[in-house]
Amino acid sequence: MHIIVVGCGRVGARLSSLLSSAGNSVVVIDKDAQAFERLERTFHGKTLEGIAFDRKLLIEAGIEHADALAAVTGGDNSNIVVASAALDDFRVPRVMARISDPIRADMFSKLGIITISSTIWTSTRMYEFIISPELHNVFSVGSTGVQLYEFEVPNLLVDRSVRDLNVASEIRVVAITRESKAFIPVLGTTFQSRDRVLAAVDMRALEKLKAMLGMIS
Amino acid sequence: MQPLNILVIGAGKLGRESGQRFVAAGYKLTIIEKNHDSAVKAQELFGGSLIQGDGCDPKILERGGISRAAVILAATGDDEDNIIIAELAHRVFDVPFVMARVNRPENQWLFTKARGVDYAFCPVCVAADLIQTAMEKQLKA
Repeated sequence: MHIIVVGCGRVGARLSSLLSSAGNSVVVIDKDAQAFERLERTFHGKTLEGIAFDRKLLIEAGIEHADALAAVTGGDNSNIVVASAALDDFRVPRVMARISDPIRADMFSKLGIITISSTIWTSTRMYEFIISPELHNVFSVGSTGVQLYEFEVPNLLVDRSVRDLNVASEIRVVAITRESKAFIPVLGTTFQSRDRVLAAVDMRALEKLKAMLGMIS
Repeated sequence: MQPLNILVIGAGKLGRESGQRFVAAGYKLTIIEKNHDSAVKAQELFGGSLIQGDGCDPKILERGGISRAAVILAATGDDEDNIIIAELAHRVFDVPFVMARVNRPENQWLFTKARGVDYAFCPVCVAADLIQTAMEKQLKA
């Protein structure tokens, strides 16, 4: 894939390095050439110095044939503008913007830009860790809708089957780690003590899952 | 008839000059300005409604009465801010007429109808055009 990363701060540098070491063609843009020093040794892509929404620079970065663009500068507004240009003017198939302000993140995601708000993400993760430490959120599918949770199987579910925990459209057990080995269960698989369970959960069903795990009565 | 509400964001030289003219023409003006000193200067000039805050923040725009505004002028010194204000004004608050200042001529391409800008103007380009015209006229004479 050809991917453009706009902004080479901590997030941009890390993201560019990850994408590059996974074998993608990556161009990272920053207004300050010194920022490129943050890139890791695994980065083999191209760096471009300049203003984020300079049309010529975006074209030089290959935006016309880019598969994805991530706008991760330190400025919410710059990120929104670059993302909207990539989406509307260059029809880049996958466009994401980092937006710190939760209100703007919400508004612009309604307007079609995929937004990631580090403010919302970090506070939600910390909240969950403090309130329900047994239940770890390990991945968010999309920006809010479905989450992957990991937890140790509670005693009340030992010897019960996966079927008993799955709820249509709400909760689905996707993997079990047993004695350091992970596998994908079938409906009839029975939980054993100390199993670590990975489940996909619709956020609206989180309370239901907690109840089924005996975390709330 | 009620006077039309006009919301100006950015009380720099352009925002202040335009604002003064809107007030003189009898419109009801509200100015939003981030910078304290510029806000105080504008307040001394108009005495009208002034809100100190970031015009890209939807809450500040609401406090400035954006939902009642017939016209909005995004005149800050940052092009990305002006575009965000225009998008919010047009797509979230349904403002009938949205004007936006282009600070850097090379950013002109971003100020489109699709981003909510009904009228974009670039003071630098306008000035350069006038200079060019005046010069050509002089050389021809």
